Amino acid sequence: MNAALLLARHEWRRLAMQPFAWTLAAIVVALMAWQFLLSIQTYLDVAPKLGGLRDAPGATDLVALPLLRGFSNLLLLLVPLITMRAIAGERRAATLPLLLAAGIGDTRIVLGKFLGAWGYVLALTALVAMMPLSLAAGTTPDLGKLAAALCGLALFSAALTAIGVLASTLAAQPALAAAAAIAINALLAMVDAGARAQGVTNGGINYLALPTHLEPFFQGIVASVDIVYFLLIVAVALALAVRRLGMLRGAAA
Amino acid sequence: MNETAAALALQGATRRLGGRAVVRGIDLAIHSGEVLGLLGVNGAGKTTTLRMMAGVLAPDRGSVRLHGADLREEPERGRARIGYLPETPPLHAELTAREYLAFCARLHGVARGVVATRVERAIERCDLGDVSRRPLGALSKGYRQRVGIAQAIVHEPEVVILDEPASGLDPVQALALRALVRNLGQSHAVVLSTHVLPDVAACCDRVAILHRGELRHVGAVGSADGALRVGVARPLAAAVWNDMPEVAAAEALDASHWRVRPAAGIAPEQIAAAIVSHGFGLTELVADTSPLESTFLAIAAGEAAEAV
Repeated sequence: MNAALLLARHEWRRLAMQPFAWTLAAIVVALMAWQFLLSIQTYLDVAPKLGGLRDAPGATDLVALPLLRGFSNLLLLLVPLITMRAIAGERRAATLPLLLAAGIGDTRIVLGKFLGAWGYVLALTALVAMMPLSLAAGTTPDLGKLAAALCGLALFSAALTAIGVLASTLAAQPALAAAAAIAINALLAMVDAGARAQGVTNGGINYLALPTHLEPFFQGIVASVDIVYFLLIVAVALALAVRRLGMLRGAAA
Repeated sequence: MNETAAALALQGATRRLGGRAVVRGIDLAIHSGEVLGLLGVNGAGKTTTLRMMAGVLAPDRGSVRLHGADLREEPERGRARIGYLPETPPLHAELTAREYLAFCARLHGVARGVVATRVERAIERCDLGDVSRRPLGALSKGYRQRVGIAQAIVHEPEVVILDEPASGLDPVQALALRALVRNLGQSHAVVLSTHVLPDVAACCDRVAILHRGELRHVGAVGSADGALRVGVARPLAAAVWNDMPEVAAAEALDASHWRVRPAAGIAPEQIAAAIVSHGFGLTELVADTSPLESTFLAIAAGEAAEAV
């Protein structure tokens, strides 16, 4: 495990040295800040009309959660850009043998890469979370609901990161790895779209879809079935990545 | 040599890749304080053999043994004891040499408290002091190769495996590399894969020649009789050599080069002193590698296969 953490720290250090990571973070924060400001303006416009309603939605429902929901959609595209270089980048730069020859084992290599990328995504999530949390300065946000939503985002991003790392072991080029991960993410996000259109919301196909398990967190519901779903995706994707890395040993440059 | 005492030994190692047996039944041992040259034409199986030695690949059949222990059963053993430079140095371009070497040291299990010392020593041994704080991506090919060697030795392993380390180096850098490899060979077991025969002659104690995935030859570098290749400025007659008590036999290779076999108990420096004292105009004196060249070329051409 120490070797996996060492590798994860090394990944963070490498990300910190790359303009790519900072640029990506800047773009994401700017986009989310823009959406946040628009949401606040909309909320301020409708707030006087909400005063007379019973159980009227507050700033958490009208500003914070839409922002985090939007961020979750952005993660479907964003995480593959971060994970694409995990293994495919090492292969392209011919640096994979350094890790393969270090005697730390394929599982720790994959875990280290996963933790490194997930750490960056969590840092980004924390930056975005500052915006809804800043509402506390002028109103009283539902912190329980926010905590549930952030917990869901953390699990959701872990699943996307694991899928991204798996895709990075499958492709020799980082761009292909990103494309493969985006395709898998899109499939998992929309796999039950047809069923939903038909009004089916609790079938087997719904269980496979990512939004089925993320949405309850945004409603403040932390259910073990949703936690297990995300952990299952992480475990399966990382296990497949370890297996694939073992196969890559024969072809490693 | 005693197989069980070997720092690293391949025993009947066979590896298939893409459905083809890339190396077959390799038996090879390397001992501490020895530099073994691994020769072979492209596609002979050198890189696959080195990957098996380094623990990157496990053999399908046979074993790789590090001081007698099977590397497949105890891969962690190799972490601290083997250093490997692949054909392309595995450098992280955005880091400085110091940062990168510190990571490599930790990756190979060096305790946090001694990392700085080990990094400093590797930088010193590979003469990287001037560039140690520059990003690796900004370094020249020669320096990148040296950083690659530094990462292979930063954890002070017992076995150092170098795959084509002289690739892309200019003549000055190649000479410095030879000196470094010779120096490493005094305290480590070193395996050096190269196409450059003079590098093998200059650095290696033994040579192993691979051809089509099989080990065709293992033997000492140079002549068994200790013959020297001598270059002289003056045209000489064969009889001149016969008059020298230090020389047992000499044959002309061309107008200015002779293959000279020293008399029993005579060291190369005594031959050099005798040639200088006779005023022959000594221009060159190296171990005679013509047997190595002819063996390598014969095997490479598939004309002969010398038994191991």
